[in-house]
Amino acid sequence: MAALLSETETQILPEAVLEEIPVRRGRGWVRSLDIYIPGVFLLALLFVCFIWPYLYTIPPPVGGSILDAGLPVGSPGHIFGTTAVGNDVMSRLIYGGRTSFEIVFAVQGLGLAVGGLIGVMAAMMRGVAETVAMRLLDVIIAFPAFVLVVVIVLGLGASEINLIWALAVISVPTFARVARAGAVTVRERTYVVAAELSGSKRWQIALRHVVPNIITSLLTFAVLGAGVVVILEATVSYFGYGIPPPGPSWGNMIATGQTTMSARPSLLLIPCITLLITVIALNTLSEGMRRRWGAVR
Amino acid sequence: MTVNGSGTTAGTGTLPGDVPAGRTPGGGKVLLEVRHLVQEFPVRNAGGVKGGMLQAVSDVSFSLHAGESLGVVGETGSGKSTLARSIVQAPPPRSGEVIFDGVDLVKLKRRQMERLRRHMQMVFQDPFGSLDPKWRVSDIVAEPLVAYRVGGRQERRARVDLLLELVGLDPEVHGVRHPGQLSGGQAQRVAIARAIALSPQLLICDEPVSSLDVLVQAQVLNLFEKLRQELDLAYLFIAHDLALVKQVSDRVAVMYLGKFCEVGPSESLYEEPLHPYTFALLKSIPDPDPETGRVRSKDVISGELPSPLDPPSGCRFRTRCPRAQARCAEEVPELRMVGEDHLVACHFPLSVKSGGDLTAVGSAVAPDTASS
Amino acid sequence: MIAPSRGAGGNDPSRAAGGDKGDGSGLRWWAAFSSSPTLRLVVRRILVAIPVMVGVTFLTAVLLNLLPGDAASALLGADATPQEVHQLYLKLHLNEPFFVRYWQWIVGVFHGHLGASLQNGQPVAQIIGQRLPITFELIVFASIVMLLISIPLAMLCARRPGGVVDRITMVLSMGFLSVPQFVLGLIFVLVFAVIFRVFPALGYTPITQSVGENLRDFTLPAFSIALPLAGFYVRLLRADLIEQMESQDYVVTARAKGFGSWYILTRHAFRNSLIGFVTIFGLNVATLFAYTVIVEEIFGLPGLGYALINGVGDRDAPLVQGIVLVLAGIVVIVNLLTDLTYGVIDPRVRYGRSAV
Repeated sequence: MAALLSETETQILPEAVLEEIPVRRGRGWVRSLDIYIPGVFLLALLFVCFIWPYLYTIPPPVGGSILDAGLPVGSPGHIFGTTAVGNDVMSRLIYGGRTSFEIVFAVQGLGLAVGGLIGVMAAMMRGVAETVAMRLLDVIIAFPAFVLVVVIVLGLGASEINLIWALAVISVPTFARVARAGAVTVRERTYVVAAELSGSKRWQIALRHVVPNIITSLLTFAVLGAGVVVILEATVSYFGYGIPPPGPSWGNMIATGQTTMSARPSLLLIPCITLLITVIALNTLSEGMRRRWGAVR
Repeated sequence: MTVNGSGTTAGTGTLPGDVPAGRTPGGGKVLLEVRHLVQEFPVRNAGGVKGGMLQAVSDVSFSLHAGESLGVVGETGSGKSTLARSIVQAPPPRSGEVIFDGVDLVKLKRRQMERLRRHMQMVFQDPFGSLDPKWRVSDIVAEPLVAYRVGGRQERRARVDLLLELVGLDPEVHGVRHPGQLSGGQAQRVAIARAIALSPQLLICDEPVSSLDVLVQAQVLNLFEKLRQELDLAYLFIAHDLALVKQVSDRVAVMYLGKFCEVGPSESLYEEPLHPYTFALLKSIPDPDPETGRVRSKDVISGELPSPLDPPSGCRFRTRCPRAQARCAEEVPELRMVGEDHLVACHFPLSVKSGGDLTAVGSAVAPDTASS
Repeated sequence: MIAPSRGAGGNDPSRAAGGDKGDGSGLRWWAAFSSSPTLRLVVRRILVAIPVMVGVTFLTAVLLNLLPGDAASALLGADATPQEVHQLYLKLHLNEPFFVRYWQWIVGVFHGHLGASLQNGQPVAQIIGQRLPITFELIVFASIVMLLISIPLAMLCARRPGGVVDRITMVLSMGFLSVPQFVLGLIFVLVFAVIFRVFPALGYTPITQSVGENLRDFTLPAFSIALPLAGFYVRLLRADLIEQMESQDYVVTARAKGFGSWYILTRHAFRNSLIGFVTIFGLNVATLFAYTVIVEEIFGLPGLGYALINGVGDRDAPLVQGIVLVLAGIVVIVNLLTDLTYGVIDPRVRYGRSAV
């Protein structure tokens, strides 16, 4: 064996090493600005929504005094002014954002875990199970999302947790579809056949080959879908089916701001712009992620 | 129709730390026997309606001895890759028997098959496609060891290092890389290391060097040859080029449209091809003129490969065969023994050695049903 | 996909021929059927769609049934006595088990009846007949606006990727594709109805009454839908056009022949990009309907979406199921038309496996 090894090293190794090795160039940070700018912005937003209220006392989002009602933008202590019932607009924005992000994380987390699991399992099982599972999900996807969420929230009762369940009903099938599409691409790869021949079980292949190869596209999709969830949550709340009205939510703020839009457009525009910028950041981040990671190989 | 191989002298080299798999090194034993293997795929056309069956492999029979190497040569679309996949049951063939070490794989349950698979491994054409881009090289080579729970973590690592060295890679340098950081030849070496990790008895190589540069091709072929001697491997070596197969094969089978048309020891097949198709393939190998150094232009087989959906009646090669006669359209030529270990499926073979008798060997071979 | 062989191969030819008299004509029909890929595609797709549509309506019925409250109490309001509610409850057959009610409804659908609204007994088909044209006009209006914005802009961008037009368009399109329809609608109302008073904020004038008024009513809703969509499609088409211009052999050939980039864009690249464009557009028709629901609600257009939301509020099962059925049917038809358009855009497509 020693003879074999030395022969290997002297004769075969040099040839193999001499072959051209593709060099990977690291990307400069400038080329990743499309990830950093929206990423940093979203992190800052998360910081303001979740940590800021613990570091500095801010006025409560509800139960403001009528004495403070209707203050304009730029008032001392109330940078964005107050609402018609005296609640601080900035505070409502922060707590509304917190609601939105809680919902987004919960919904997309559920979608990624449950939908991803369904999609990968469907692709790995093949055959009738795969067809039936995907057809069932198609039925849900065929619904107008907004109507489905409204109907479910009406059934469960309007609250944040019920809104999460309702939105998850939308997100789980879409994740399942994306996960299955990716898993179908991966399962046809030669390395999956090679893994089978190597004796790997189906669950091992799913866990070790399929999931690592589709996870980036699933994450990209999760960020893209986060924008949709923020929009849906705001839309549903705007129409009065989501977060119950005194509760802070961007959709609620837009709905109340609408009633005084001619007299005080700021109450309408401030939450609208916040919502818009957040969604833009999510979409830009998703696009940057897609550009960097590409589709499923 | 057992065909006796030439019984190579097999080395007894084994990897240290080898798993005792009850193998007895030696040449005499029939390792793999394929009988009447048929593989078909449904073809869907317009509107997803079933458009018939594509018979990729139709009624192929052969046997392979322990430590022997059989080359399979054919054009793209001749069904040679499908044959390879059918043997390892990925997917299982439509009909026929694949007897490995005395067990018919086609009849096995999934679990039993999983246990037997460790004795037969495969090397694929596209080295990068067969390696998961997300895995490190050392993990790729360890995959079969992990799946079959061979040894502990330390033992596996030692074995992976040894395997990488055996295929000519440096465990320190290449082991930590990802496939994307390897060259084609290096990637194929990794695939080979994975394939021999469990010390299989049979290695099926599906055009393992076709996607590599000519220089690298020679190196990888040398590696195959070396491993065979060291590890007592039996090869089913698939290629579309007769010249490539010559080096690593004891016997060569020529495949055309899902059927074997000639099987024989490499020497006699190259020296005295019997089937017109083999002859044409041999002539199409470009070889440089020794004096001018230029590649002499060679005759290439005329015409296109007929659609396997609708193969010609009788002899499948007759549409492109210069010697075709009326009988070739009517009667399917069966593989028959002509000369020592040399079989041909042709009504009018090119040359017949004096000692060869012309009795059809294939009494066990069922009449071809595919062309109907 | 659900029943590929049953879709075409398993059909009894003479029965499938329907009203044909003799065997001869049935066979002729069969021959035409099996030789026409287009026809087979249509039949197959419709057969696949039926279980999906039944599933969609069944899910609707289940959800409606799970909602608290029922049509009787929803219709009579909070002031009604329990006796009144109970009488209406029996009158509307709400005491029958859920499965029986759904079964009767779906059997009716297969016989061509969509049933009657629980609210006023008006046939659901009639309600849909009144409301669908409004939603349809909204969608067509929005689609035309979207196409008129996105196609020329995408071409201008693809002509000089990275140029001024391209950069501005990319930023603006990202903004528009991120804006929720209801936010855009409200901002339009604020700007064009409240501040400048050029368009009405609410209301609907039938097109038969005044075409001009009708279009004025539809302008803001249509733009609320069209601009976010245009943001999406501009990026889609631009990316595809640029890829065509950079990588395709025929583009290189055309350049070598000396054709200008504008000529190549309009004559070659655009034609080839159109397939992807049409596909995505077809797939997104369901989403488009979701947008109309929102926009009709904001602008008070009495379309299908408006009726749908009110129907859910009233627990009006036949109405809601009927609307959902029609919407799902339209989605199926549009997707089918999308597939058939491939053949018109690109004659090479012959509805092989990829088209299904």
